Amino acid sequence: MRLLNVTAFFFAVASALLLYALNYDTRRIEAEVQAKERLAERAREDIAVLKAERGTLARPDRIDGLARQLGLGPPKPDQFDQGREVSQLNDRRDGASGR
Amino acid sequence: MSHGTRRMSERGVYLFLSLAFAGVVAQLLILASAHHVDVTLAVSEPVAATSFSRPDIVDRNGRLLATDLEAPSIFADPGIIVDRDEVVEKLTTVLPDLDSRQLLRDLSDRSRRFIWVRRGVSPGIAQKVHDLGLPGISFRYELKRAYPGGMMAGHVLGYVDVDNRGISGIERYIDEKVGVDPVHSAVLSSRPPVRLSLDIGVQHALEDELDSAVRRYDTEGAAGVVLNIKTGEILASASLPRVDPTWPLQALDQKHIDRMTGGTYELGSVFKTVTLAMAFNEGFAQPDTIVDVRKPLEAGRFTVTDFHPSDRPLTVTEVYTHSSNVGAGMLALEAGPEKLEAFLKKLGLLDQMQTEEGALAAPQVPARWNRISTITAAFGHGIAVAPLQFAAAAATILNNGKTVQPTFLRKFDAGTADGKAVVTAETSRLIAHLMRLNVVNRDGTGGKADVPGYRVGGKTGTADVAGKGGYTSNSVISSFLATFPTDDPQYLTFVVLFEPKGIAATHGHRTAGTNAAPVTGQLIARIAAQLGVAPETVTASR
Repeated sequence: MRLLNVTAFFFAVASALLLYALNYDTRRIEAEVQAKERLAERAREDIAVLKAERGTLARPDRIDGLARQLGLGPPKPDQFDQGREVSQLNDRRDGASGR
Repeated sequence: MSHGTRRMSERGVYLFLSLAFAGVVAQLLILASAHHVDVTLAVSEPVAATSFSRPDIVDRNGRLLATDLEAPSIFADPGIIVDRDEVVEKLTTVLPDLDSRQLLRDLSDRSRRFIWVRRGVSPGIAQKVHDLGLPGISFRYELKRAYPGGMMAGHVLGYVDVDNRGISGIERYIDEKVGVDPVHSAVLSSRPPVRLSLDIGVQHALEDELDSAVRRYDTEGAAGVVLNIKTGEILASASLPRVDPTWPLQALDQKHIDRMTGGTYELGSVFKTVTLAMAFNEGFAQPDTIVDVRKPLEAGRFTVTDFHPSDRPLTVTEVYTHSSNVGAGMLALEAGPEKLEAFLKKLGLLDQMQTEEGALAAPQVPARWNRISTITAAFGHGIAVAPLQFAAAAATILNNGKTVQPTFLRKFDAGTADGKAVVTAETSRLIAHLMRLNVVNRDGTGGKADVPGYRVGGKTGTADVAGKGGYTSNSVISSFLATFPTDDPQYLTFVVLFEPKGIAATHGHRTAGTNAAPVTGQLIARIAAQLGVAPETVTASR
């Protein structure tokens, strides 16, 4: 009976220590997760700002002016003289839609 | 203590412990089995949402049109503020348009702990306010809608209110049909973006061409749409003067309505496209049927005449290319009021139309379909519809009669033909051919819309503006309905110029052939390649 008591006491202490360690581990991991989530949230916000900035920079009215300064313009019908060029244009458009 | 009693008490302790364990196990089992019970958590913060996070809006190719950004909002705590006057005075140095009297009143109420000073300011402004170092003034990050394209497609996108809730246009559609999420702080939406049918390249070309048209012809406004006939997708829709999606107050100004959808207009001769479609479809006219247009048409106390009266009978083709009011009126009379009304009804021109942008202005139709209203409707008077609604009806005619429902959302499945065709494929082909003839024939009214290679077809419309006490002949609405390529119509454009002035280049004329037609030609030259339409030489070489 004494042996049983000693064993039970030993297990009780051991499990208490284990729980204690686990508890602290959990809290530490929780803090890490929170820090990561904060980082992710920050990154998401940065992405949103960058996306908006890219959208502003890629505005067609802005590109239009810049392109015309470089002497570029909308394609003229006589610039297409081979069927495959237009079909390729079509393919590119379809591909681009997947962005 | 005897050995026996000790054993007894030991057993008692064991029994008690076993029972206690059994009790715990039983409770755990009950908890585990009762997983259908909702667990509610008490939140210490008030649950009322302060704002909403919205999904992005992108164009058909994924280019950003609207997004949520974090923006600082400024609030005050009256309980902490010591010198109210100083605070208000200093704030107005950074925010000059602040209602200082209202703010002073709000700050006087010491029982309040939270007062918005200004929501959604730029980081620069927030920094300046922060630098004032005012006690009781703090910041809180909130979501604010941003439109990277500026005013582009402003009418379509609509507005959001200060809580980031959609109040008009696509923004409102998102609230009603897609969904937004209430948030306490600046939490970006995790919903997938809303993909519109618009192509910002085409949208820009349209807005740019309309801009130069407004300048060149000194118009009161302009509107235009580019529609995919096969799918009903709207590639571009613009109305000038433009609106800024970040400035909702503009919407209240009648001048800034979306003229494509928000107003109804008598469109004039473009309507003959519908009249002739009916004549072909009902089978009482062919392109070479002769119509005697030499005498003006009497309609009650009105006399219908032609802009260029003809001294010989015209074929139906010529009625279209010469834009003869008398001829169109006679064709409509031959069908009769009932048939014309039924045909317009089938095309959806008599009922209010709905798109994702909202309800279109309801068409204004004759109260009674009699001889007079039949004649005038044949050439687009006495019936007023929103330009987009007319464009949809014309697209239906050109789409082999299959109803075209305009949509602002990208369609991923090729449009499946459902329902009965409104007109026959033959009628559809004839109308596309007539539109082409009106552009290539020397006596046609749409010559200036031609773009070599793209087989453009079209019809002009010049309508006197209805004002107080009748029509004023010195202000007109000129429009041009076009389609390309006419051998298999893919796209439709409709350009409307409001009250253009006669200029030197048009020899003082204000008719659509001298303004709306060339604008359409320039527009198609710019967008055809973007839309992947092959010029003729290329098609021939395939």
